[in-house]
Amino acid sequence: MLDNQPFREGHVTVNGVDVRYRVAGPDNNRTPLVLVHGTAGSIDGHYGYIFPMMAYRQRVIALDWSEPTGDTLEMADLVAQVKAVITTEVPEGPATLMGYSLGACVAAMTAAEMGDKVANLILAAGWLRTDTHQKMRNDVWRQLRDQDSASVTQYMTFCAFSPAFMNMRTVDDMKAAAGMLKITPFVEKQMDLNTRIDIAAACETIAAKTLVIGCTYDMMVPKHHSKQLFGAIEDARYAEIPSGHAVVHERAAELFHYVDRFTRQPDEFPAGVIIPAQKP
Amino acid sequence: MTTETDILIVGTGFAGLGMAIQLKRSGRENFIAIERAGDVGGTWRDNHYPGIACDVPSHLYSYSYLPNPDWSRVFSPGGEIQAYIRKCAEDEGILPHIHFHTDMLKSTWDEDAKRWVVETSKGTYAAKILITGTGHLADGHMPNIEGLDSFTGDVFHSADWDHSVPLEGKRIGVVGSGASAIQIVPEMQKLASELVVFQRSAPYMIPRWDRAFTEGERRMCRRDPSVVEDMRSEIFWSGEFNFAQRRNIPRFLNEAKALAVGHREANIKDPELLAKLTPDYEIGCKRLLISNTYYPAVAAENATLEASALQRVEGNTAYGASGTGYDLDVLVFATGFEAVRPPFATRIFGTEGISLDERWDQGMQAYDSIAVNGYPNLFIINGPNTGLGHNSVVYIIEAQVDYIMEALAQIDAQHIEVIEVKRAAEDAYMEKLDAMAQGTVWLAGGCKSWYVDERSGRLTLVWPDFAHSFRDENGTFHPEGYDMQPAPVAAE
Repeated sequence: MLDNQPFREGHVTVNGVDVRYRVAGPDNNRTPLVLVHGTAGSIDGHYGYIFPMMAYRQRVIALDWSEPTGDTLEMADLVAQVKAVITTEVPEGPATLMGYSLGACVAAMTAAEMGDKVANLILAAGWLRTDTHQKMRNDVWRQLRDQDSASVTQYMTFCAFSPAFMNMRTVDDMKAAAGMLKITPFVEKQMDLNTRIDIAAACETIAAKTLVIGCTYDMMVPKHHSKQLFGAIEDARYAEIPSGHAVVHERAAELFHYVDRFTRQPDEFPAGVIIPAQKP
Repeated sequence: MTTETDILIVGTGFAGLGMAIQLKRSGRENFIAIERAGDVGGTWRDNHYPGIACDVPSHLYSYSYLPNPDWSRVFSPGGEIQAYIRKCAEDEGILPHIHFHTDMLKSTWDEDAKRWVVETSKGTYAAKILITGTGHLADGHMPNIEGLDSFTGDVFHSADWDHSVPLEGKRIGVVGSGASAIQIVPEMQKLASELVVFQRSAPYMIPRWDRAFTEGERRMCRRDPSVVEDMRSEIFWSGEFNFAQRRNIPRFLNEAKALAVGHREANIKDPELLAKLTPDYEIGCKRLLISNTYYPAVAAENATLEASALQRVEGNTAYGASGTGYDLDVLVFATGFEAVRPPFATRIFGTEGISLDERWDQGMQAYDSIAVNGYPNLFIINGPNTGLGHNSVVYIIEAQVDYIMEALAQIDAQHIEVIEVKRAAEDAYMEKLDAMAQGTVWLAGGCKSWYVDERSGRLTLVWPDFAHSFRDENGTFHPEGYDMQPAPVAAE
């Protein structure tokens, strides 16, 4: 008999669009954890491991972004969706907010705007300000997409995983993984937003206890970005996972380890500390 | 004559030796390890059957503080693991602390002297602290088979292999289809004229991603130890990922199952044999096995898979529960170990004078998986709820050794004479574990396994969570769970 975890589906209307989310796990002494996925992601795509495993520990809430109306996507659109879910599901108490990739940028912005409603913040593979290296990659992506090239998903996959992870697999395995990526108009808007991120000023105002997680072999959001977040946010500590950008797949259990420890005891490490990696 | 020592360790496998090394490294000299056999290594010394290897890659299945750049393969053969353990004992200066051929017969708590009195096959010891490192896979389990005495051929257990018995061209029966059997069967298939495998229940099996390391790779590991460290990290966290399967989450369990089904179907073409090799429970409920050679071996022309347990023996004929008989020259029992009711527990008697085995009449349990109320000054390494279905037990052992080292430091600092875990703390810990175990594949997977105590239905052998959380929770000493009595101050 499989352990089918009970969960509840919810939805909330934000600026005229329906935002769906999922809630699971027991209410206990841990602060409810709200999960925000990244570009081209979803609850199952980016939190397929973290969501069910964390739901054995505590209350977990995760949302799927909805495409807002309008030609371009703005940071404020996604922040509004996250805020609406937090306000609906954690109306009283503070939340722990976790974002991954673009979701980390959204989560940081949300934390800045919501003040003490967000007591704890986890930013995995996020960034402060889009830099030349990222713009260059995004530009190649845009050209491949404009040519309607099948290479675009292979390029995304190539950028997402570390060499060590890929080398445990065959080229055919990696191409098959690429074939599962779907580029929708909404994803294109997210990719455009990725070229215009600048949350530096907002990060200076974040009061939440923050765990910043950088990925050693990240080619999409190299770890210097996480170091910048670690510097910009006052009450931040830093951990590093030897993974590519796709840490939610590559090192899901190690990511879980940091998320689990931090949500259990956010002040286990004081601000400014680089948390040493566990040596198994 | 009684041999006095501060700390007595029972066993010198990965657990006992790991404890001894850390004691020695901390500057302690007043400790003795007793070992019933003539060498260190525990299960790796006792198990030398043809084909023996470990299911955890060697670069992880070794002490974190004694990396070995020279492993020959991803999954090195058992003899290499045994040689590694032996070398660790030599290099760390532990051999002079070991009393070999010294079997613990009876340990009793001396309330007056506040000491453990340990009777052994080589005399009596008295120790302030007793630490067991006897392991889960120490004493072979022999099923009670009707008529086995009448068998006219050779009989032995996989953990006590008789290398003097000629096997070439013989009719060989292998009893069991667990982790030892699936390594033995391919080797026997090469030698036997006829091979019969008695299978009580079909195991799940996935491919073994094994290969030899090149000399260049070994030199790389010697030249840059960080390469080994990175490999350990990679293997460990890949293993941790698979806990989601044991946690019984449909998506991950089904991924594992698809891998196992694909492996089976790629290797077994005969539909009748395929049916016999298809398990009737969820993957991971019993130990998940890894082999590339087992399926081809049982599918070979000289092999027969008897899909029932060995039931009785008459002369040279062995009958399965199905009633089918096979004429055999050799019977190999690959029937596992006394894991759920470890024999060491019948030999340790606490403050109430009852054995640990009696105390555990509803199954093993220990606070922080290490201490039992009524058994003061005793620490159990690799005892209740320390097994894993998805990662390296050496990692668990190291966490438990760290715990004991912290406890010993506190005992010294506060001049503690007696340390005993509180019953309430022990029970609360077990309640927590019982709750964690609910819904896992070990309890809900629809199988009978050595992870679960039949008497209570409790998961007593396995830690029901990630390995890393064992270290997070049980890698540091928790004094709040214990009553600690300081030694009386000596009169002037």
